[in-house]
Amino acid sequence: METLTPDTPEQVLETLKYIIDPEIGINIVDLGLVYKVAVDEEHIHIELTLTTKGCPMSGTITTATQQILKRRFPDHEIVVELVWVPVWSPEMITDEGRRQLDEM
Amino acid sequence: MSTATASNSPGKWVVLPHYAFAAVSFLTLCLLLLFSTDAFGGHYFHPKLLTLTHVAVLGWATMTIFGALYQLLPVVLEGKLYSEKLAIWTFGLLGTGTILLAYSFWFFQVGLPMHLAACCLFVSFLLFNINIIQTARKAPKWTVEADFIVTSAAWLLLTGFIGLLMAVNFTQPFLPQDHVHYLKLHAHIGMGGWFLLLIIGVGAKLIPMFLLAHVEGTKHLNWSYNLINAGLVLFTFDHLFLHTRLLPLYAGLVVGGVGAFLLFLREAKKSRQRADLDLGMQQTFVALALLVVPLGLLLLVSSQIELPAAVMSSLYLVYGLSIFLGFVSALILGQTFKTLPFIIWMHAYEDLVGRFKTPLPKDLYSHALLRWQNICYLLGFVVVVAGVLLREQAVILVGAISLTVAAVLYTVNVFHLLLHKVPDLKPFPYGNANA
Repeated sequence: METLTPDTPEQVLETLKYIIDPEIGINIVDLGLVYKVAVDEEHIHIELTLTTKGCPMSGTITTATQQILKRRFPDHEIVVELVWVPVWSPEMITDEGRRQLDEM
Repeated sequence: MSTATASNSPGKWVVLPHYAFAAVSFLTLCLLLLFSTDAFGGHYFHPKLLTLTHVAVLGWATMTIFGALYQLLPVVLEGKLYSEKLAIWTFGLLGTGTILLAYSFWFFQVGLPMHLAACCLFVSFLLFNINIIQTARKAPKWTVEADFIVTSAAWLLLTGFIGLLMAVNFTQPFLPQDHVHYLKLHAHIGMGGWFLLLIIGVGAKLIPMFLLAHVEGTKHLNWSYNLINAGLVLFTFDHLFLHTRLLPLYAGLVVGGVGAFLLFLREAKKSRQRADLDLGMQQTFVALALLVVPLGLLLLVSSQIELPAAVMSSLYLVYGLSIFLGFVSALILGQTFKTLPFIIWMHAYEDLVGRFKTPLPKDLYSHALLRWQNICYLLGFVVVVAGVLLREQAVILVGAISLTVAAVLYTVNVFHLLLHKVPDLKPFPYGNANA
């Protein structure tokens, strides 16, 4: 598998688009669940949220984020933090996410 | 910034057996209905109708709700289920009690089998209450949805207690009034207190979630909770001690509470981001539309207007049917395919997400079977109701056949999900994620 060193947070976000919310069928980036991506030479720090508190997907999405980033960027330490502030709302869905929702 | 905990979902052996038992119960219910067309010609206090009702409310509806609730409670209350062991005991006692009670009513064995059944069910509801209350006590934030769920569990316990008293009263009469008097109380607090409150509490959380909607404030839900509980409490006291003619007022309070919930749903629907409604959600809205029938009939039967005995008898039967075979069954038939595929998916694929291209929950069951199930169900329900109103056994039989086809399709789809095996999956190539 091809591995990379991320130059920009965009590369991390592109990788996270492989994680699909199973109920909605849209990736977590376009759903607006990824709040922050910080990249330095040794670390990738992610802050993400869920559509609702107590969501049974919490463990699945955080583990998947860890796994996919570790496989893609194996030389970096991955830190995934699940946060609830600000509270997610449907307005956070990206234009691409809305386009996908409209096509469903 | 506050951080969250890991997933609070219970193990699959706590949840999935409920769905299996419920599917078999629904099929059994429809098969029994085929052999009960003669029972719809008279009073609702009939062994076959009592069997059908209890298979519907216990084996089908309550069993599904218990299973789904163990999965959903951690979502609503944001914490782990208090005890999985208690949940398994609750399941065993509910299953045993349902089978024994169905046998007792069908063959009208009102002695030991019925007493045992009533004891099993009461203990099951007691354990369920302990589990719910203990889970709720640890909830980090108390919400109106928690109010609905905890209160509904308490009404279930009271319903079971009255049922136990009635079971004993069959062989050792001690209750001051006749059986039908307590049956009305037993039935109404079960329908309004257990099913209605529980469905509203869970629906208030799930329906906006499935629609990707955001509803500001809890005003409508607070009104709904207060009005329904006020109606039920006043009805209970009046029915036991006062015997006034204020029943339409109490019925009006309950109907008003449901109206407030429907206003909440209207707001959710207005702010939804998902334009599409999948088959599960379509069926859910069919169920909500069907709710109009029992609410209208509730006002009618509580108003005590003078109608011919035969008409009144048919209306009572349609009233009961429209709740259990109508609203509650329609809701379960739809929501099963919103909850069960997700539960199966989570247990099968949660460790594979992000590493392999996994199917989605909606890929795990047959949409064609679900579509035909929904069509056969609605057709069957309408025909059975028409048959009861017309007092035509042949019409009831046609409706029962259609419902049985729906039950077969439902059971096949549910067991297809329950027996799902993970196929060989392809790892991600990491190209264009949106492709």
